[in-house]
Amino acid sequence: MAKVNNWQIGREMDYPYEESRPEKQAGAVFDTNKCIACQTCTMACKTTWTSGKGQEYMFWNNVETKPWGSFPLAYDMRILEKLGPQSWDGSTYNGKTIFEAAPPGEKALGFIPEDLEYAYPNRGEDEINALMTEDRYYLRLPHDAWFFYLPRVCNHCTYPGCLGSCPRTAIYKRPEDGIVLVDQERCRGYRECVKNCPYKKVFYNHVTRISEKCVFCYPAVEKGIMPRCMRTCIGKIRTFGYVNTPENADPENPVDFLVHVRKVACPLMPQLGLEPNVYYIPPIHVGNKRFLRMLFGPGAEDAVKAYINAMEGNDPELLGVLMLNVSTDHIIRKFKVEGGIAYGFDENGAELVRVPLKEPTVVRPFFDEAVKAYRYNVT
Amino acid sequence: MDDKQRPRFRLTRRDFLGAIPPAAASLASSIILPGDVLRFSHLAPIEPGTNPLSEYPNREWEKVYRDLYTPDSQFHYLCAPNDTHGCLLKANVKNGVVVYADPSFGYGKASDMYGNTASSRWDPRICISGISYVRRFYSDRRVKSPLVRKGYKEWVDAGFPRDPETGLPEPRYFEGRGKEEFEKLDWDDAFDLVAKVLLNIGETYSGDEGRARLEKQGYDPAMVDATEGAGTLTIKARGGMPLHGPIRIAGAYRFTNMMALLDAHVRGVDQEEAKGARHLDSYSWHTDLPPGHPMVTGQQTCDFDLYTAENANLITLWGKNWIATKMPDGHWLTEAKLHGAKVVTIAPEYQSASSKADEVIIIRPGHDAAFSMGLAHVIVKEKLYDEAFVKNFTDLPLLVRMDNLKMLRASDVIPGYQAATLTAAKLTEPGEKPPPPAEQAVQYIPAAIREEWNDLMVWDAASSEPRPVSREQVGTYFEELGVDAVLEGEFDVTLVNGERIKVRPNFDLVKQYLIDSCDPETISKDTGAPVEAIENLAREIAANKTKTLFVEGMGPNHFFNNDLKDRTIFLVAALTNNIGHFGGTVGSYAGNYRLAYFAVAPWIKEDPFEPQLDPAGKVAQHGYTHSESAHYYNYDDRPLRVGNKLFTGSTHMPTPTKTLFWANSNSLLGNIKWAHNVVVNTLPRIELLSVNEYFWSGSCEYADIVFAVDSWIERKSPDLFAAVTNPFLQSWPASPLPRIYDTRDDVEVWAGIAGALAKATGDKRFADYWHFINTGQPEVYINRIFKAGNNTRGYTYKDLDDSCQTGTPFYLASRTSPKVMGWEQTNESKPWYTKSGRLEFYREEDEFIEYGENLPVVREPVDGTHHEPNVILARPHPAIQPKGPGEYGLDVGDQSTEVRQVRNVIKSPDELSDSQHPLIPEGYTHVLITPKYRHACHSTAGSSDLDVAFWGPFGDFYRHDKRKPWVGEGYIDLNPEDAKELGVEDGDYVWCDGDPSDRPFVGHEDRPEDYKVHRWLVRARYHPSIRRGIGRAWFHFYMATYGSVEGHETRPDGLAKNPRTNYQAGYRYGSHQSITRAWLRPTLQTDSLVRKDTSGQVIGKGFEADVHCVVGAPKESFVKIERAEPGGEDAKGLWDPAAKGYRAGYENEAAQQYLAGEFINGSE
Repeated sequence: MAKVNNWQIGREMDYPYEESRPEKQAGAVFDTNKCIACQTCTMACKTTWTSGKGQEYMFWNNVETKPWGSFPLAYDMRILEKLGPQSWDGSTYNGKTIFEAAPPGEKALGFIPEDLEYAYPNRGEDEINALMTEDRYYLRLPHDAWFFYLPRVCNHCTYPGCLGSCPRTAIYKRPEDGIVLVDQERCRGYRECVKNCPYKKVFYNHVTRISEKCVFCYPAVEKGIMPRCMRTCIGKIRTFGYVNTPENADPENPVDFLVHVRKVACPLMPQLGLEPNVYYIPPIHVGNKRFLRMLFGPGAEDAVKAYINAMEGNDPELLGVLMLNVSTDHIIRKFKVEGGIAYGFDENGAELVRVPLKEPTVVRPFFDEAVKAYRYNVT
Repeated sequence: MDDKQRPRFRLTRRDFLGAIPPAAASLASSIILPGDVLRFSHLAPIEPGTNPLSEYPNREWEKVYRDLYTPDSQFHYLCAPNDTHGCLLKANVKNGVVVYADPSFGYGKASDMYGNTASSRWDPRICISGISYVRRFYSDRRVKSPLVRKGYKEWVDAGFPRDPETGLPEPRYFEGRGKEEFEKLDWDDAFDLVAKVLLNIGETYSGDEGRARLEKQGYDPAMVDATEGAGTLTIKARGGMPLHGPIRIAGAYRFTNMMALLDAHVRGVDQEEAKGARHLDSYSWHTDLPPGHPMVTGQQTCDFDLYTAENANLITLWGKNWIATKMPDGHWLTEAKLHGAKVVTIAPEYQSASSKADEVIIIRPGHDAAFSMGLAHVIVKEKLYDEAFVKNFTDLPLLVRMDNLKMLRASDVIPGYQAATLTAAKLTEPGEKPPPPAEQAVQYIPAAIREEWNDLMVWDAASSEPRPVSREQVGTYFEELGVDAVLEGEFDVTLVNGERIKVRPNFDLVKQYLIDSCDPETISKDTGAPVEAIENLAREIAANKTKTLFVEGMGPNHFFNNDLKDRTIFLVAALTNNIGHFGGTVGSYAGNYRLAYFAVAPWIKEDPFEPQLDPAGKVAQHGYTHSESAHYYNYDDRPLRVGNKLFTGSTHMPTPTKTLFWANSNSLLGNIKWAHNVVVNTLPRIELLSVNEYFWSGSCEYADIVFAVDSWIERKSPDLFAAVTNPFLQSWPASPLPRIYDTRDDVEVWAGIAGALAKATGDKRFADYWHFINTGQPEVYINRIFKAGNNTRGYTYKDLDDSCQTGTPFYLASRTSPKVMGWEQTNESKPWYTKSGRLEFYREEDEFIEYGENLPVVREPVDGTHHEPNVILARPHPAIQPKGPGEYGLDVGDQSTEVRQVRNVIKSPDELSDSQHPLIPEGYTHVLITPKYRHACHSTAGSSDLDVAFWGPFGDFYRHDKRKPWVGEGYIDLNPEDAKELGVEDGDYVWCDGDPSDRPFVGHEDRPEDYKVHRWLVRARYHPSIRRGIGRAWFHFYMATYGSVEGHETRPDGLAKNPRTNYQAGYRYGSHQSITRAWLRPTLQTDSLVRKDTSGQVIGKGFEADVHCVVGAPKESFVKIERAEPGGEDAKGLWDPAAKGYRAGYENEAAQQYLAGEFINGSE
């Protein structure tokens, strides 16, 4: 095992390969407060990539309802249970990562779900954490009973569990954009990747007998276009782009702005040690803060505060980034917010899109002299 | 093992074809996959020591995914399911097959003729159903050619054998509905067959003989009278949601208008006397119409473009699960929150929108009126109302006569009083036709009606006298009048005949009811909402005048008391000046209805006797067609006649239904309330069921003729689309895709039947009526529509279509964007479409006084309640004096379902809470509701495997449990505590039964074979989010049919799939409609309610389809739930996720720790 730096847990950790970061790291921020669980992303992915035989149980993208939803069954409960209770000291993780907790002879701590555990992919949908009892017939923020939606794709981790444990070296990270791929030619279906991805985002195809996973739609990304799941996001929750390490954060880069500048977005279960590159704006309504910390790390509470601060009208810049989300299908590399307008630019600084923070209201003349027509709302 | 012997990269040519739905495979067989995709002959070894984080030797293979992803071509089409959106989508085509859909990203460029432009915040627009549509397009359930049911064809071929006595067709030809084969027909043969049937039915039911036959068949005499001796009046057609395609769908209306030619032929009558066929309602049929809106505002519905949310401070969702059912517009809600708006959900469960809410109020379903009256109580009692708005814009200051409970008119007290001359209205004489809507500057009111209204009065504090107020003295004009209108008190007035009577302002009467009967404690008991929730919300609304949105959903609208829900919510909104503002108003959301955006009269009411064949020529208009509500057919083809009274007003009266033509109407049978009763008891009397469909639905299962029409993605014929939730005007860009089956456009079906009628009758006007369809120029009709419309004049179809072909629509030229109904009334003091010109809360018409609903009151649901159904909650009140059951010749204690509808029984708060539903002693426990959800809408119901597999907890592509009807299935949500009490485990199958007196169908006791098909067997889910005592099942799963049950029981795979038709049910037996029935509400059948016509500024009264008519009560049911089978995959034990401890109610230790967040501890 090599010693690598994982900024998300505030320390060095063990990993099967030496640290090596790509030129750019593709990543995303998902605003759970805007996610409507429409599953448009799920089906966009499914119809593009996994509608073949042997792929029935594959959802490279899915949206699950927390706390009861999980695909496959209890993937998160089970890895957390295997790891046992762990702790943070401020922003430094005191506990063990899955690599550090690897059983003897293994690369990481993991498990392979049973076939049946891939059935029922949307189990838990809209189910609250506690029973609806009479004392919960009137809830105010934060909610004593709650659920929230967690959209998930491959995290294209800086330290992927799948890549680190592949005995064939058939999984690699693209140096130009950090996208993690399973080489469909080399893979022999040993399923170590399935076992050691704690997010369970590598899937075994029992027809072809090799494994497959999310490719971040690199054929689109290579052309500056967002992946299918991102550009069909009608909840407009997704900021797709490239994420830097904290010391290299670019405040004009929307992803960096959310992750490093406003610190409103947090990784999913950073304690597992993979430095995942998809970040989440945690839900503001969840009463159990401890749950949020367990899922999104020690930054969760401050992230909620930063978001609420924007809702109170104190942060037009944050508002602007969130309004830009998916307002174009092009990847926004830089942004600015000025005079009530948010602008998105490409890598060359050319404007891709601009949106008003508030959509204008239009009042048309009652009588249009030119065409001799009266205009009504009640037609 | 050699690498070459291993299974290789998955994308062999065969696999690629396998990935495409079977129906498309034949097309796809011409696919040429590049050879290099399939040839990976050599793999270089990986050097030891390679760090795959930074380098990788063999990346050529990445090309495979690029090839898979990259389309050959793209085009835009309109995705137009029966929801309220409609999205221009971009099809990505590879090798001739649409592989996936993208949003157009063109909405941000939408503009109008004035240079106003939308922003890119509108993009992207698409949803889960739009994405999975490709699976439907290529599905094996496509209707592939015109089809006729075998027995039906035999009936026609045999020359229509009928019972000589009654005229009914011989039953043996009709008993095979839903059970026998269909035969393919050529299009021309299909048209000829239908033409023959129409002639036969027209002849059979015309004249005295026809009348006699209908009487012998047992129809209500009032219905027989309504046919006026014209057989064409028993012919009915319905185009569902015509706003989605005024040419192809509202073409059904034109079709019925054309039938006047048939009547002229059959009866030999002239143009003046000829009767068209009937067309059935659309919006009200779906129970999307909020029937109290016209009672308060005089017009169909108040709503607003959803993007106005960000102008509000407070957004209250009344059973409106915004983010789950308005998905492309979900972000306007979450972004409104980013702008600081507060969101409140009022619903029986913690629903998806609750997860975006600040406040969550869990109430009993169907109790929204009670809840809003609780709010009104607090607002009035604490004097938090906006007095100026109340006086300027509502009828609350108007005086009510205490002697007869009518409004006090100026002519009552001022001798010789002449009603004020109106300047914002034109009085019309009978037969006078207003100009097209685009040219209507004022309201058009029949002079006779205006005469009846006279002017109403307020009590002027300054002069201590009643003062007349004209219907135009509203808003600033009322202020200018300088009258100090009193809201409270009782006053004496002397009538012109010298009699002295008491009068009270309406406000005073409402206040008395609110104070006496609607205190928060009472309302809390009735609704189940905590007192604190009622008080807090009332104060918050009052603190956000002009900035509170009231968003009504389909949920509360689907209860029998839905008009009261509207009247009371409007009351709260009016008290707080929250109507007609960009940030504060009332909107009801269900269905997409406002066909009046398109002035279709020149199209649907063109005179068939004088069809205009010159594109530029003037169109003669004559409406020979009359509409009626499909709810009567659904009510076993009866009006509401109970006890000694016929409650159905004459303007509403249906005719006997002999033929039904449906287009875009999958719900008309497949999802109908009381569907199982219609199948068993109503259909046998209907002689033709003709369905236009692209996808085999429940309606097709029972049809006689099915016309195979184009799916949206392959349509070629020009048409229009607009929505009530967004500001866009859209076209249907013609698809470059070749049709994959023998299909035609809906409008070509209407035209085709017309052509056959021309042949059969020798009258070529039938064919000429569709001239521009037959010659491929539908845009001639569209441009006529554009020119007549007040939201469209100035646009041409070509410009619109050019834009839509690139994915960018136009703005509708409505008065404002966002559209907010009532904006002109509130901001420009224009009169509403009511008698008083004001928002009306008092209903003085005889019917309302008789039913105890002259004031907005609280009524229990008619079935979906634990309390005594349909009773009025009230302490004694001088204005609430309904006729009791005894006066209708009914037993006072009779609570049977028929009688219940007309029972006007008052109960005090204590009496109500002590009462109970009559079925509780029989073991009935749950109010069951059937709302809509994110995974489908009407016309995309549970119809693709992808959607169904992802729908809730029971989706499983591999069907480990072979009992499953499909890869997913419908289910009932139960609170886990309730389920445990019923002995039901998570995932068990249960029997769910409604009132056995009439469900699943009348007479089921004697028909065990039918009962088996129609009784509901359904999965139960432990759902922690739902209130106790309430069950929930999603609306959209396909019902079991004779064919699906046969499939389930005989197919080796156990699928509930009809072996003859490929129809796939979402249940093994029965459906969520097994527990519903049809209900007809008396207050919705008046001949007296004043309301605007559907289209234009024209006011009338009584029935108007989709405005004032019955709407049913589709979410009303009270059920018994019994465990049927264990939920385990082996049909024995527990369902796997529950058995493993990962379900609510079965939490293992890890789950408990996880829920508590205990896997992370340590310092804070």
